[in-house]
Amino acid sequence: MSKREISRHTAFCILPPHIIHSIAQNGTSGQRKRALQNLGTDHTFRAFRTTHNLLAPIQTQGPTPLITEGHPQRTIFNAHHTSNLSGDIVRVEGTDPTGDPAVDEAYDGLGATYQFYWEAYQRNSINDEGLKLDAIVHYDVDYDNAFWNGESMAFGDGDGDLFNRFTISLDVIGHELTHGVTEDEAKLVYMYQPGALNESISDVFGSLVKQFKLQQTADQADWLIGQGLFTAKVKGEALRSMKAPGTAYDDAVLGKDPQPMHMRDIVHTSQDNGGVHINSGIPNHAFYLVATKLGGHAWEKAGRIWYETIRDPRLRATASFRAFALLTAANTDRLYGHSSPERQAIIEAWKKVGIKIS
Amino acid sequence: MQVQLKMEGGLAYIPGLSKPIMIGSETLSTQETAKLKQLLDTAHFFDLPSVIGTPAPGAADYRQYIITVDEDGKHHTVRMVEPIEDPNLQALLTYLKTWRQTIR
Repeated sequence: MSKREISRHTAFCILPPHIIHSIAQNGTSGQRKRALQNLGTDHTFRAFRTTHNLLAPIQTQGPTPLITEGHPQRTIFNAHHTSNLSGDIVRVEGTDPTGDPAVDEAYDGLGATYQFYWEAYQRNSINDEGLKLDAIVHYDVDYDNAFWNGESMAFGDGDGDLFNRFTISLDVIGHELTHGVTEDEAKLVYMYQPGALNESISDVFGSLVKQFKLQQTADQADWLIGQGLFTAKVKGEALRSMKAPGTAYDDAVLGKDPQPMHMRDIVHTSQDNGGVHINSGIPNHAFYLVATKLGGHAWEKAGRIWYETIRDPRLRATASFRAFALLTAANTDRLYGHSSPERQAIIEAWKKVGIKIS
Repeated sequence: MQVQLKMEGGLAYIPGLSKPIMIGSETLSTQETAKLKQLLDTAHFFDLPSVIGTPAPGAADYRQYIITVDEDGKHHTVRMVEPIEDPNLQALLTYLKTWRQTIR
């Protein structure tokens, strides 16, 4: 770009855009010409600054660890029943199964999750830049949990009494990895409604990972999160049900599934980071309703709408359920049109869970 | 001496696992009470800050453990975010979690 091309009229440089717009509409012929030139140049400058700022973090990063798009780079660590998050490397990309179910399920689950994001949305790993995928298995003693620590996933073996190993459920692996995607795209605060949205997004894409692996349509899917985690002792089928929140288990020891499926039953609590795993039932059910209304493979339309919504720059870190719902409608408009059956499905689904967006 | 363990967070909120458990000199044998006291002393429990650990940015589904101890007129509560790095605290927590499984 030449120096001449980027020169601007001094007076217009200090004028706010709305005044320049007014001159462009109401000024003399000469004033209007200069104002229009300035508006064009000003937009170019703004775009240049914006692009420069967006590219700056990328330019300062080193080379990404994964060079070949479409292929995961997995590493599985064994914590040997300690709470050490480093552990020994027990399986790396391209090596044969070890015979240890936790190791091999984690490896396969990371691969299935990577393939889902790549094939359904052309997303190259958690950060869309080929981030390597690490999982730690045999974490702690009798550990009834799996978590995302901001960089990798840790899986307990369960206590063997109420819970089986946490790698047994593919949607749980997809759930944990999706926390990384959400952090990369939306950074939803992990408390109250934005935290429940964060959890719900992990359930949605965790379930879609499983459906994609099994090539199930929406009506064939079980819509359960954590199916297979409970031992035969527990009266329950999973940790959560997106189809019927609040019905996943009802057990003498574990109690009853506390998830609501409608805003009138939203739980106000300080526990569980403000009920992030409880109130996620509401957006979970909304997604189920959209997916089953539209039919077919849920990742193709309903999943695409949710995926575009978490990537939407307008989605704030403190988003409420309603703010998220409004953005799903806006992205449906963009993808399928304002008068589309997809938009109607979105409006109806949110209405059924008590969120009116039109 | 009374010790309460409460667990929060995790991949799911499960009401039955969120109830606090209480153990102490009234419920434990003399030998177990001595063992628990030793674990508390080794961890310097009454000198610990009220919050240990902070979740990393973007972390999710992690557990938090809240331990409250009443002993000889002293009262102290410590909230710990996993992973617990201090081996003495790990030993105390492992002991309490074992009791939690026995009691539930």
